[in-house]
Amino acid sequence: MTRTRTLALAAAGVLGLAAVAGTGTLASAAPSASTVVATRQANYKKMGAAMKTLKDELQGSADKDKMVAAARTLAATVRVQNKLFPDGSGPSSGVKTDALPAIWTNRDAFNADMQKAIAEADKLVAIAGSGDKSAIIAQFKATGATCGGCHRQFRADD
Amino acid sequence: MSESVTTTGSTRIWDLPLRLFHWLLVALIAFSWWSGEEHYMEWHRLSGYGILALLVFRLWWGFTGSRTARFSQFVRGPGAVLAYAKTLFSPSRHTADGHNPLGGWSVIAMLLAIAAMVVAGLFAVDVDGWESGPLAYWVSFEQGRSAAEFHETVFNVIMALIILHVAAIVFYLAVKRMNLVRPMITGRRAKSAEEAVEDARWSPAMALIGIVIAAAVAWFVSTGFRF
Ligand code: HEC
Ligand code: HEM
Repeated sequence: MTRTRTLALAAAGVLGLAAVAGTGTLASAAPSASTVVATRQANYKKMGAAMKTLKDELQGSADKDKMVAAARTLAATVRVQNKLFPDGSGPSSGVKTDALPAIWTNRDAFNADMQKAIAEADKLVAIAGSGDKSAIIAQFKATGATCGGCHRQFRADD
Repeated sequence: MSESVTTTGSTRIWDLPLRLFHWLLVALIAFSWWSGEEHYMEWHRLSGYGILALLVFRLWWGFTGSRTARFSQFVRGPGAVLAYAKTLFSPSRHTADGHNPLGGWSVIAMLLAIAAMVVAGLFAVDVDGWESGPLAYWVSFEQGRSAAEFHETVFNVIMALIILHVAAIVFYLAVKRMNLVRPMITGRRAKSAEEAVEDARWSPAMALIGIVIAAAVAWFVSTGFRF
């Protein structure tokens, strides 16, 4: 929540500056970068929330429907993320983002991490309703490892 | 220091449980910092439960420990703090053992900041929604993230308080010529012949009850109250 607020503020600040300086280029570039960053961050939050639901369920009542729904959200959301890292949406855009420049200099590795996450999330969907708790936990961990693996390399640890 | 102090013995000013509390706290805070930095979350959580137990024990001991451990002895009003602050630069002996009126508040500040950090940690959620505190299931992902951010912020406050704490101890040594560290290790300070002070007394039974309460609270919390 605080993130979105600072983001909105940052975006407003950039726009304001651009207006004052009267530079049309900044004004037209900033909104699209800020929109795409806001979208991908909101999606990541959705994924984090889905992971948390899975963890809570695995440690608690292990409700099948909730786990399947969370796994589906995760798998559906992670698929669209790759399109949300266009050129010019990194930190140099001036938008507040934790995305590291390495994403754009090492795009193949980033894409590979993305594919790994998609593959593991799909496996999680397949198994989430099975009732086999230890298998679900194992797959949950495998999926979580793909998040952490990419974050270590491509996300600034704030 | 008008009269030269002839030391003919020593007196106990810090009880053993308090000293153990102090040095275990130092060790666990250092360990928490390290395990957090290295993302050894299993260890980091355990260390946090240890600190929680220490805090609960200290709260108990603040009412049941020896006189220098009691809150009633060292938590003083603004008048006493001000009066003490005026004498800060004069090299004089303690008028009473235990924390001085100013130091008492630094102790309270440290304990509160550390408590805030522990509580925030209990609710914290990692970015991946993967690692989390034992009570994180009571809150949403976003709230858990806020708790994690607060957990990090309070750490800076604690660092500042610790630096102040150690600086004060160095100040006492350098300016007031008082070694506070030795008593915090041995529990004793030198005493002159004519001085009539009693050793700080404590009850092992009370200490034991405190340890049991502290361990029980930390254990219940660590399970997220699901057992
Ligand atoms: C291929 C790389 C990659 C993978 C895989 C990945 N992330 Fe991320 N994640 C990122 C990057 C890059 C950011 C920073 C985005 C930004 O700030 O613009 C991020 C940011 C986040 C954020 C913070 C969003 C915010 O509010 O700023 C969360 C939460 C998150 N990821 C959760 C997850 C979860 C959960 C998974 C696994 C299911 C996951 N991520 C997998 C790259 C990845
Ligand atoms: C993680 C770092 C530290 C923390 C969190 C910490 C915390 C505390 C607390 C809470 C007290 C009050 C004791 C009580 O009544 O419960 C205290 C007292 C004390 N600490 Fe520390 N401490 C730290 C590091 C140190 C270090 C490194 C030293 C030695 C150089 C030290 C020396 C002392 C001394 C001498 C006292 C007694 C002060 C007095 O005479 O009033 N501490 N500390």
